[in-house]
Amino acid sequence: MKLYQIVIKDILRRKRRVLYAAMGVVVGTMTVIGILTIAFAGEARIYNQLEKYGPNLTVIPAISNLDMRLGDLSLGTLTVGENFISEKTLPEIRQIADGEIRQALGIKDDGNIATIAPKLYINTELKGISVMVVGVDPLEEQKIKTWWRIQEGEYLQLADQALAGPVAAELLGLNIGDKIALNGNDVTVAGILDESGSSDDYQVFVPIITLQKAFDKQGLVSSIDIRALCIACPVEVIADGINSSIPGVRAVAVKQVAAAEMDMMDKVNKFMLALAGITLVVGLFAVINTMMASVNERIKDIGIMRAVGASRNQIIKIFVYEAVIIGIVGGIFGYITGTLLAYIVGPLIFEGIAITYIPQYLPLSLTLATLIAVAATVYPAFQATRIKVADSFRAL
Amino acid sequence: MLEIKNVSKIYGEGTAQVVALNNVFLQVNKGDFLAVMGPSGSGKSTLLNIIGGLDNLSSGEVILEGKRIDNLDENALVAIRRGKIAYVFQQYHLLPSLSALENVLLPLTFCGASRERNKAVEMLKKVGLEKRAEHKPSELSGGEQQRVAIARALVSDPSLILADEPTGNMDQKTGRQILSLFDELNTDGHTVIMVTHNPETARHAREIIVLQDGQILDKTGRR
Repeated sequence: MKLYQIVIKDILRRKRRVLYAAMGVVVGTMTVIGILTIAFAGEARIYNQLEKYGPNLTVIPAISNLDMRLGDLSLGTLTVGENFISEKTLPEIRQIADGEIRQALGIKDDGNIATIAPKLYINTELKGISVMVVGVDPLEEQKIKTWWRIQEGEYLQLADQALAGPVAAELLGLNIGDKIALNGNDVTVAGILDESGSSDDYQVFVPIITLQKAFDKQGLVSSIDIRALCIACPVEVIADGINSSIPGVRAVAVKQVAAAEMDMMDKVNKFMLALAGITLVVGLFAVINTMMASVNERIKDIGIMRAVGASRNQIIKIFVYEAVIIGIVGGIFGYITGTLLAYIVGPLIFEGIAITYIPQYLPLSLTLATLIAVAATVYPAFQATRIKVADSFRAL
Repeated sequence: MLEIKNVSKIYGEGTAQVVALNNVFLQVNKGDFLAVMGPSGSGKSTLLNIIGGLDNLSSGEVILEGKRIDNLDENALVAIRRGKIAYVFQQYHLLPSLSALENVLLPLTFCGASRERNKAVEMLKKVGLEKRAEHKPSELSGGEQQRVAIARALVSDPSLILADEPTGNMDQKTGRQILSLFDELNTDGHTVIMVTHNPETARHAREIIVLQDGQILDKTGRR
């Protein structure tokens, strides 16, 4: 027979008492797990919204529009500088963006982090109609335009393919497999986009290399979209870094409508976590109370065990084992009820939230519950071992 | 083997003071069977608790096998309870969640010898309860429970057995069975100190002392 067997037999004899003690633990962990689950789902929802806003940074050529004035008389504007950015700046831009993100988030690995999508805009005539043809890096562009859906055909796979916006396709009468001539170079229409309500609907997309070749713009891009999707991403810092170290370009941080919402979410989360903390403390006192009662009703048993040779440490161990069992039971129930709570309460707090259970919170719940139970047990158990054995028999 | 020198025990403070033991001297030799008699409140249970280190004394010395044990810290007391001294209580004091055999195994569990299950079985056999080994205390009669408690006391091979009114809760017949078990233990060489208020019970002892108001009245050899 081992100490833990004594504990298990004792728990089995006092099932209801032990369950009652576990209730306090359940209430505490339930609240924390419930709130964490809701917060997680809330954040995921905002992430989804953030994605709809595309890039957080746009790099454009540093063109200055100078207003020409003579007294009160406006003489129009004068554009100064290049209309294109050299492709050679791309690695440097990536270095600055990834570097700042790494520093801000403390990431060590050296893969690419930010999505960097260069674009070349060429206004040309197709079938006698003026159309904006956009050269894109197919893979990177897809990461930025997460909302793009193909209505017909397929996404850009080969260098001599084109993807048409729905309005452009209709105006030009384009179908899948049609050939269009870009300055004499033929490309095949591979797909037609779904309507998105943006300027993309009016444009035709081709791989940037193809467009550069066709219009003799090798090594040149019109603008670069950068997306670094994370709450802590230092968008302004990246923009400053690019502006100060790469001449001839201007990086602009795109105003994040969702960022404000993320900030709000953050505040709500903090408030809820504070509430959870308070509940946890209240739960702790409830558990201390029941554990004290549990210790007190076994003062005699403690006396018996000590009279037959149990040391103080063994008595405390017995109660800690019991607390661990209560913690595990309480943690499991706390996780289940907390998740259920999130499913019920979550949608009342955030509209359209999609709650999912989070398995990683189970170990968290178990740890939390066990810590509460053990913390609440050690003190009364220690007190119980300080009673003289003779007095413990008199206690009842 | 046991010497008690000038032991006093005072409960409470100031005007509420109660003197439970008053300058008690006592000597017990190896192999003795001593009965401590006296009316309730005479201090006989207090004396037993002090000998066993279950209670502390106000002044005096308790010497077991040449060593003072009245001023020991908790850990040293644990060591004494694990081999030198064992108790048998009036209320049996078995753990209700454990079977008879597990209760006997308890002292071995605490001193880390839980694998000596055979020894516990043997002790249950000695008290005639091997067939009731798997029964819980609530399923045993008073006499059976006390026999389990005696088996539990014996399993750690104590040099001194302290019994506090071991037959106090029993009818005469059962009481006699328990007492003959104590006779047997004493014949086997165990030193026994037994507290009782019943002269019939005390007659089983080789020696009787009578306590009154915390003092020893008389000491006569018997048998």
